[in-house]
Amino acid sequence: MTDEKAAPVSGSILVVGGGISGLTTALEAAEVGYEVFLVEKNPYLGGRVAQLNQYFPKLCPPTCGLEINFKRIKDNPRIKVLTLAEVEKVEGGPGNYAVSVKLKPRYVNENCTCCGACADACQTEIASDYDFGMKKIKAAYLPFAMAFPARFVIAPEIVGTEDGQRAKQACPYDAVELEMQPKTLTLNVGAVVWATGWVPYDAKKMDNLGFGRHANIITNMMMERLAAPNGPTQGKIARPSDGKAPESVAFVQCAGSRDENYLPYCSYICCMASLKQATYLRSQYPEAKIYIFYIDLRAPGLRYERFYETIKKDPNVFFIKGKVAEVSEDPSTGNITVVAENAVTGEKIHQAVEMVVLATGMQPSAAVKKLPAAVKTSPDGFIMNDYAAGGMLGAGCAHKPADVVSSNQNATGMALKAIQTLVRR
Amino acid sequence: MAERILVEPDLKFIKDLGILGGDDLKKCYQCATCSVACPISPDNKPFPRKEMIASSWGLKDKVVKSADPWLCHNCGDCSTRCPRKAKPADVLAAIRAQAIVEYSRPRWLAEAVNDPKKLPILIAIPVALFLVVGSITGLLNFKPDLSGGIAHYKFFSTWLVDMHMVPAMLFAVTVLALGLKRFVGDIHQNALAEGKTDQQTIEVAGFVQAVIRVIPTILTHKKFSECTENKDRYIAHFLTFWSFVGLFIVTSVIFLVLYGSYLLPTGPLHGPWAQINPIKWLANISGIALIVGTGMMIKSRLNKPDQKSAYKDWFLIGIAFGLGLTGMLTELTRIAGWAPVTFAMYFLHLICIFFLIAYLPFTKLAHLAYRTAAMVYSEYAGRKFVK
Repeated sequence: MTDEKAAPVSGSILVVGGGISGLTTALEAAEVGYEVFLVEKNPYLGGRVAQLNQYFPKLCPPTCGLEINFKRIKDNPRIKVLTLAEVEKVEGGPGNYAVSVKLKPRYVNENCTCCGACADACQTEIASDYDFGMKKIKAAYLPFAMAFPARFVIAPEIVGTEDGQRAKQACPYDAVELEMQPKTLTLNVGAVVWATGWVPYDAKKMDNLGFGRHANIITNMMMERLAAPNGPTQGKIARPSDGKAPESVAFVQCAGSRDENYLPYCSYICCMASLKQATYLRSQYPEAKIYIFYIDLRAPGLRYERFYETIKKDPNVFFIKGKVAEVSEDPSTGNITVVAENAVTGEKIHQAVEMVVLATGMQPSAAVKKLPAAVKTSPDGFIMNDYAAGGMLGAGCAHKPADVVSSNQNATGMALKAIQTLVRR
Repeated sequence: MAERILVEPDLKFIKDLGILGGDDLKKCYQCATCSVACPISPDNKPFPRKEMIASSWGLKDKVVKSADPWLCHNCGDCSTRCPRKAKPADVLAAIRAQAIVEYSRPRWLAEAVNDPKKLPILIAIPVALFLVVGSITGLLNFKPDLSGGIAHYKFFSTWLVDMHMVPAMLFAVTVLALGLKRFVGDIHQNALAEGKTDQQTIEVAGFVQAVIRVIPTILTHKKFSECTENKDRYIAHFLTFWSFVGLFIVTSVIFLVLYGSYLLPTGPLHGPWAQINPIKWLANISGIALIVGTGMMIKSRLNKPDQKSAYKDWFLIGIAFGLGLTGMLTELTRIAGWAPVTFAMYFLHLICIFFLIAYLPFTKLAHLAYRTAAMVYSEYAGRKFVK
């Protein structure tokens, strides 16, 4: 019986989305013996977590968690990873789906050793989506140092240009293949897990919060990139207008969340994210004044509550119960004045700060771009799971706003639900 | 140990606010967006966030006996920004309606004006008075001699008109004056208790100076024009306000000329006045402005699902619009020579006037007294509500 380690396989599982939830579902299913296709639209795995500087509440870099998962994928022959891939169509029913997946060309093959010669040769620069446009990168690039698959990407902008040729000629391993064409695959799978994640809610929609009008108003995800060692400032938190080290920062909680004009639900992570980002600032600027404007601070569970208690002890972190509803910029200094009513004292506060961080929430990707399948979603775009029917399931933040640990728990559960679909057949 | 406060919620107050249009009050989660969104809310103890929580807790005295709900001009910026759609603007409007009931006497009349079921009684009062008093005195003549042309006084004597309207006005002024006296005392106590003023007492000289400073703000509708939402309401209210001023001048001149002319050897000068008379111009322009202004109000209330329109709102707009409409129709049908129609219109017009005057202290129109008093008080108290 020693050769019967694998579970009885009666079909494959497709996991859509290679963020932390998708990775978890794929690994959990594959490690009990199921064949899994993991489809990711970016050229790399890791999703939003790969953009973070640190996890809360342990304040460790996300690479440590991702690295383990990448190793598990490498070691597992049952997982087939497809990057630059998007699901176009799903046909069939539980136990028997035919899924069309479109693969965009990477223009770099598996010969790539990440030597970087192509990037050195390339002259064109493009805005980095990974850094929310805060950094220009070469059009032949590695998404980030820890990227998996560890392989460069040639941006389609330079294909067919001299720059493309330069990159190709510079490569000592014949890894640049400018002739690559888009392909469409059909995968036959028994279950589909949608781990399509979230997008940061578009902060420009809150016209009273000044994002996009004033340079020194950024979002919490931009703050992650500013603080990250592999970010646009190599980890030094500097304000965008002049690169100055901010001496005062205001955090605007519920920027678009819990608001029927925007996202009616609580995005769950933003309070903890701002508390965490307060520690980023504190570690770099021991004297900086930090103002956190909130409606209610939500630090659920014992560990998060403790984290909040620790931050509260900092004499230069000020918590103000009152939502910021107005901002203005001093054009000569670039400083921002935020206005809120302190609901505890009943006084309106006009707080001038050097930088503002909008704690914008999560919007499920399915709300921005409809999923190409008959999946039931809530009015806000979250996938509503029908466990009795099985077949297609939402996992992680595609299902509800969640932190990493809850996403992983949920994603593990969805691996089991997907397996049940196959076994029940 | 911290001071102990026993909260005694007035549950009826909360319920009544709901009937008056504040039924989304409980959705409020106290984020205070409204206080910042409000273009005219002061920095010190801004509104309407504190009114939302006090109302939700049923603390009637804290809001009804405060000047702040009256500083609001109901522009609706707070309701637009409200993340919970709790409609603070409508809650403040409902608080004001409750304050009007609170400060006017007799109480039963105030409650009747706010109760749609009592409307037939309110209409029956002037109708019965006109018919009974008119028949007994013979001042109401259903078959007048119209040989000299149609003139409304031949049908409904000016004596009969003033026999009702003058006492009605004295009644309204008395009710309002008594109400204002209590109101100003209460809002001063509230301001002291909440730290909204440094003035310990109300000095007459200073108060009069505040009146003088506030009048231009009211005449130009300066506060109204600061609102970004509902800009059309500013124009509508401006037209309606000035049409009332115009009609008040017209009525006063006609009143003085009529009773003055009894001293003349030629006898009293009755209407209708000639169309070339400047007073007639003012009357016609004001009448049209009233119809247009109130018509805009009706239109905007019908088109705004965001804003609640309660009975109290329709009651006053209905009277004002009816007043303008019946007034203009009375004139037009007289010119057309349709005697029975024009007399009927005139009768309706007089009912509208009676409504407006006699019920004034109990309707939304009482805001002309309470809001003015609140604005003057806040000016006097040094409450900076001008940004």
